[in-house]
Amino acid sequence: MAEVAPTPVAAQTPGGTMQWTSGITPVLQNVVATVNLDVKLDLKTIALRARNAEYNPKRFAAVIMRIRDPKTTALIFSSGKMVITGAKSEDLSRLAARKYARIIQKLGFAAKFTDFKIQNIVGSCDVKFPIRLEGLAYSHGDFSSYEPELFPGLIYRMEKPKIVLLVFVSGKIVLTGAKLRTEIYEAFERIYPVLQSFRKVQ
Amino acid sequence: MAANQAAYEFYRQSSIGQSLTDALDEMIEDGSIEPNVAIAMLKQFDNSMAEALRLQVRAKATIKGKLQIYRFCDDVWTFVIDQGANFKFENSELVKADEKVKLVACASRP
Repeated sequence: MAEVAPTPVAAQTPGGTMQWTSGITPVLQNVVATVNLDVKLDLKTIALRARNAEYNPKRFAAVIMRIRDPKTTALIFSSGKMVITGAKSEDLSRLAARKYARIIQKLGFAAKFTDFKIQNIVGSCDVKFPIRLEGLAYSHGDFSSYEPELFPGLIYRMEKPKIVLLVFVSGKIVLTGAKLRTEIYEAFERIYPVLQSFRKVQ
Repeated sequence: MAANQAAYEFYRQSSIGQSLTDALDEMIEDGSIEPNVAIAMLKQFDNSMAEALRLQVRAKATIKGKLQIYRFCDDVWTFVIDQGANFKFENSELVKADEKVKLVACASRP
């Protein structure tokens, strides 16, 4: 996975080459991944012997475990499947997943490391100007949902790339639903000119 | 604690629990009570401690420090706090721990 951020020049995206013009790079805030350790796990043993683990089967059927580096949380299920959340990049997510797998192995389970997959990537950025959400919602009605009484942000469901954006009056943007970071970058580059045209004049 | 469920036995290690245990041991040695009576009394002590802490103690303590390890399993929280944790009790000075501290916390009722 390429770790380089787009520069304001032509860059490769899933849709081909596109021009990066905003000069702003969304920062990845959360990566969610799954992996299959391919072994049945006794969660109580794990909870009793591993550090920084919570297991309350009355409330949730998984062990919740955390490590400090990379700072992440894992949900470990008795089926051997594991969800890793909180990593700031794809590589850190994979590294964290390996560390959790190693912890499980050290407890005596024959854990493998199969089917690692990034399930979601969340990014955010700040365009540093206020946005007229009503205007944006009106002219992009097919993609927008803006219910300020329910939620202060505008929810923009982009179709290509298939990314959901939360756009706030302040100019802060959250992008989610990506399997690849390039989708986050591409979605932002596509929304940026739209946001500029709904810049609020103060 | 429900009557049919055994209470935690860890308050036997407190000073009041130790004193009770010592007194009961003496009484068994000089033959004034049977060992099974002592056991019944300790069981009652476990229940009474849990009950008293649940119903009569309102004091709170604040503990601040760097959490090294935590665990939650079988309704028991375990915390290991790095050396230097600050303990603040009501009506008392701040106490600083000069070693790491292990805290075990259980639900006062099941």
